[in-house]
Amino acid sequence: MVAVNDPITLEIIQNSLQATADEMFAVMKKTAMSSIIYEVLDMGTGITDANGALASSGAGIPAFIGVLDKAVKVMVKKFGAAGGIEPGDVFVTNDPYYGGVTHLNDIVVAMPVFAEGKIIAWTANIAHNSDVGGMAPGSLTGEATEIYQEGLRLPAVKLIAKGEPIRPVFDIIKVNSRMPDVLEGDVWAAIASVRIGARRLAELAEKYGTATFENAMASFMDFGEEVSLKELAKLPKGTFELSEEQDDGRVFNVRITIDEEAFTVDLRDNPDQSASPVNTSRDGVMVAAQMIFKSLTDPYSPANEGSFRPIRLLTREGSVFHAKEPAPIGFYYEIELRVYDIMWRCLAAHMPERLAAGHFASVCGTFIGGIHPDTGRQYTIIEPQLGGWGASRGRDGNSAVFCGFHGETYNCPAEINEARNGLIVDRMELNVEPGGEGRYAGGHGIVMDYRVRADNGFLTAGYTRSKFPAWPLDGGREGSPNYVEVIRKDGSRERFAFVSGLMTHTDDVIRVVTGNGGGLGDPKERDRAAVAEDIRNGLIAPERAADVYGPAR
Amino acid sequence: MADKTIRVATDVGGTFTDLVAFETDNRTGEFSIVTAKSDTTPPNFEQGVLNVLEKGGIDPASVDFLAHGTTVVINALTERKGVKVGLITTEGFRDTLEIARGNRPDFFNLHYEKPKPFVPRYLRRELPGRMSYKGEEMRSLDLSGLAAIVDDFKADGVEAVAISFLHSYADPTHEQRTVEAVRKLWPEVSVVASHQITREWREYERTNTAVLSAYVQPTAERYLSRLNDGLGERGFSRSPYIMQSNCGVDTLEAVSRIPITMVESGPASGFWGAAELGKLIGEPNVIALDIGGTTAKCSLIENGQVKIMTDYWIERDRTSAGYPIMVPVVDLVEIGNGGGSIAWVDEFGKLHVGPQSAGAVPGPAAYGRGGKEATTTDANLWLGRINRDYFCGGAIEADMEAAGAAIGAVGGKLGVSPEEAARGIIRIANNNMVNALKLVSLNRGHDPRDFTMIAFGGGGAMHAVALAAELGIGKVVIPAGASVFSAWGMMMSDLRRDYFVTRLADLKRGAAEGIEALFAETEERARRQFAAEGVDPAKVRMLRYGKFRYQNQEHTTEVLLDGGKVTDDRLSSIETAFHETYEREYTYRLDAPVEMVGIHLVASAEVGKLKMAKRDATGTSPAAAVKGRRKVDYALEGVHEATIYDGEKLEPGMAFTGPAIVEDPGTTVVVHPGNSVTVDGYRNIHIMIAP
Repeated sequence: MVAVNDPITLEIIQNSLQATADEMFAVMKKTAMSSIIYEVLDMGTGITDANGALASSGAGIPAFIGVLDKAVKVMVKKFGAAGGIEPGDVFVTNDPYYGGVTHLNDIVVAMPVFAEGKIIAWTANIAHNSDVGGMAPGSLTGEATEIYQEGLRLPAVKLIAKGEPIRPVFDIIKVNSRMPDVLEGDVWAAIASVRIGARRLAELAEKYGTATFENAMASFMDFGEEVSLKELAKLPKGTFELSEEQDDGRVFNVRITIDEEAFTVDLRDNPDQSASPVNTSRDGVMVAAQMIFKSLTDPYSPANEGSFRPIRLLTREGSVFHAKEPAPIGFYYEIELRVYDIMWRCLAAHMPERLAAGHFASVCGTFIGGIHPDTGRQYTIIEPQLGGWGASRGRDGNSAVFCGFHGETYNCPAEINEARNGLIVDRMELNVEPGGEGRYAGGHGIVMDYRVRADNGFLTAGYTRSKFPAWPLDGGREGSPNYVEVIRKDGSRERFAFVSGLMTHTDDVIRVVTGNGGGLGDPKERDRAAVAEDIRNGLIAPERAADVYGPAR
Repeated sequence: MADKTIRVATDVGGTFTDLVAFETDNRTGEFSIVTAKSDTTPPNFEQGVLNVLEKGGIDPASVDFLAHGTTVVINALTERKGVKVGLITTEGFRDTLEIARGNRPDFFNLHYEKPKPFVPRYLRRELPGRMSYKGEEMRSLDLSGLAAIVDDFKADGVEAVAISFLHSYADPTHEQRTVEAVRKLWPEVSVVASHQITREWREYERTNTAVLSAYVQPTAERYLSRLNDGLGERGFSRSPYIMQSNCGVDTLEAVSRIPITMVESGPASGFWGAAELGKLIGEPNVIALDIGGTTAKCSLIENGQVKIMTDYWIERDRTSAGYPIMVPVVDLVEIGNGGGSIAWVDEFGKLHVGPQSAGAVPGPAAYGRGGKEATTTDANLWLGRINRDYFCGGAIEADMEAAGAAIGAVGGKLGVSPEEAARGIIRIANNNMVNALKLVSLNRGHDPRDFTMIAFGGGGAMHAVALAAELGIGKVVIPAGASVFSAWGMMMSDLRRDYFVTRLADLKRGAAEGIEALFAETEERARRQFAAEGVDPAKVRMLRYGKFRYQNQEHTTEVLLDGGKVTDDRLSSIETAFHETYEREYTYRLDAPVEMVGIHLVASAEVGKLKMAKRDATGTSPAAAVKGRRKVDYALEGVHEATIYDGEKLEPGMAFTGPAIVEDPGTTVVVHPGNSVTVDGYRNIHIMIAP
């Protein structure tokens, strides 16, 4: 069959790729066994071309969009020699030093799609698995000093050969987990997802011809680049810089240069990698740059490899943003978020119509485990938290939404939480602590109380923006901090940003508090009717309102 | 036995109120159809219904069966025309409605706007009291603060109260007591509790459902009761039936209590019609497609059963989280692609169709009412698929100049001829619809090749063959009277109630007793309600479904449990049925424990549905129905000289082949080259697509 270049046909193929990525997402969501996958949807699906260039991505979380292509590229490189990749094969990686980008909990499964005897595409899937071994339950711990302590490493290996599961690999994966059945179920869910996607793509290629199919992918990547360049041209040109102190005392620096052809992010001037798991791979930082770039240029259409072509990233190997093996990377996501947030902050003042004030900007990853008193089974909660978003010009920020890292992500209903995990959720409400006031106010974070029902449980958490809350713009007030508090049965309290494996007992309350977003503009200019509404809704005390917004007129 | 039976379907739409009456000759079983249309009359919607009856010349006193569908509920929701609602909820959870689920579907958009809750924070109030997930009382309900809450609600102008407590799906006692107490304190207010609508878990979804139900309740209640009175005054002596989102009808009294169940009543009747038609013509596996002016909707029917789910959201799309309504709704996919969908070219020269629609005003450019933008209908006209001399059944003179200018403008932006542009519009529109059809078939593990497509609505027949061919479907059926098919579906509906109850259970020996008790208890609830309404117990049918999953999973797979009581001996065959259903859908099965998460019980009773009479082949040659010939552009298959048939002259037994076009006043059937067509004994058109 000859290649067709008719734009309608190419458009139809592109729509079908999108539909396929979405279908892969739906399959994973419905079959997964970990609530972090099926409820929180901490997962992503994507399609790449034969070389691993991103062609289309499913719903999910933006921070996973740019991960799958990097993983596939590593697999192509490792197995690409003749006979290394065959129809029916499925590959797996979870290691940031082998294309995994993120941390060991995130397992990437990828499958080549064959047509006319050659690879024409890959379908891939990433999801956060509840436990992949390592020194702590849930695999994530602030105590890790090397990646070896963070779980089983899968350095881009074959999982299924010509349709036949490689049993030893499955056995190794299972035996390393504290939750072997759940892990197995989730890996199979991922396999189902890539297989269904691969089947659809093979049908598409058969229908339109391989050459046309490949043409469509290539032309849409070029199109993605065209859109990005066109928007890039509209951005203010120049070099923008920012230095920001972090909760842990490190100072992060960013320098962004925008010209007609490129969006250059220079992160070379940053601290050395840490012996704690607060590092990220270079690929991870690239993902952060891609996210902010996409939001600035073309937030409304799906991303592909072409969309990101104008990005140039400069990092220094051995630094916190370009960690070298065997640096631990468990909490990589907070570091990626910090980079994302400082890029955002660096540019916000210069692009007021595109960027709002800062948001709570932390995944607020919370890990709670123990024994379910009604079933006697072990449970592990792994969840990101909702928080407040910053005000923008003309509008208050959203309350209780996941951070910029997450997207089509859902919180866990209290009713399901109580049944599944054997805790009591005493309350889940908006955080009305002061902070985030302005002409336009930041949105509210949340307060959630988990009451523990059994002894010998644990809490692990890693929150940032706990010391320095969400940043304001144009004279607004800064937001409020993210933190977790443990209120013991005897009434004593401890407050944390990072805590690992804290023992909990019956009737202890774990209180999650997430911050309000930053305010925008002088609070004295806030519409009085809006202030009255805030007071009526109990979102601000009348005294605080008089103090911040001025006396009622 | 009376000579004739008159069945009437009325449907209140956003702009028009429609009537379709079926007058059946009881000796021959043949029926004639009367249709009428009048304006919708907000806020007194009942008036439009009474008007349209008069306009159609229907004497309510002579009507034997009246079914009523309405968009009043969905319109009140989307236009925000409901009443002020106060919410009473569990202490610590008043913000559940605003926190929602926290998702941000439009995730690269940093200006995402989270949907605003329907009740502001100051009207969301709390009461102490707590149930566990097992339905055990952990803390008793304290109603001492209720009087003050009611006083505040009164002072703030609240007109309806919603009550939603944590775990009320497991034990509704606290909600029931609060409802009673509110009624005592404030008898005239409209009040609804979440357990009255759903017995499933997820507090945000259930609470929002109660709130939206309360929001529309006074409006819907008022109009339904006035409708009942108005019909009664005009001599109608029976109770009207109201179309529900679950493809059944329900009594006016029951619907008045929980009007939110009407939310998707419009599409539901058409899909039910497709299921019933499938049974009639021996096609139990159907993909139903309904193409109207602004949207296309589709649904899959397997073994004659529509799929009913409670995962329904309004205003939810790629850019918004929307609002959940946890009521039984037919599983459908709807996209913004209808006859009036506008074709547009983006700044990068890419062609799109919809979701913006030209609506009824100005409508497609060819309406000649000032519409400047090309729509799917204009493209169909331009390609000769719709007869320019018989546009809208001859009711409108097609303004081909306007259509040509609009399509030409699209072509200009794409750098192609108007013909190419028109073909592109049809192909993009078809592709949008193919993706929607895949969502209900392939995405749910069904192979479309195992199904027959039944297409209806004004535009269904125009696109059906192309879509079916794309999906490998071998046969398309266009029902007689395709444009009023939804009304026919309403006439075929049973009194139907879907009960979803969340209850966790494993499938180990000994579990059957509890599962059976839950079914029995729910069936008893259904029977009692039917009995109270005077329904003959012999006519009541029950269908039992279980919702299962592998332990640790969340999402469930529904399995039909036929064969009577659930016993321990049957558990293993139930488990096997789950494994099979699961594997078909997801490509693998696990050697893991299976658990039940809840039940879905369908209780239905026949209430005088239309009986269809089949006619023998008349032997008339199809030539008798030929109107002429003209050139038709079939897009991918090029231009062909097609035979044009008058749909009203088609008779049972006629057969012909494509390329052809069948025209009747409500719709145009596009028959592609190579298709063969037969007309069945009910005058449905069967189109066989050569593989």
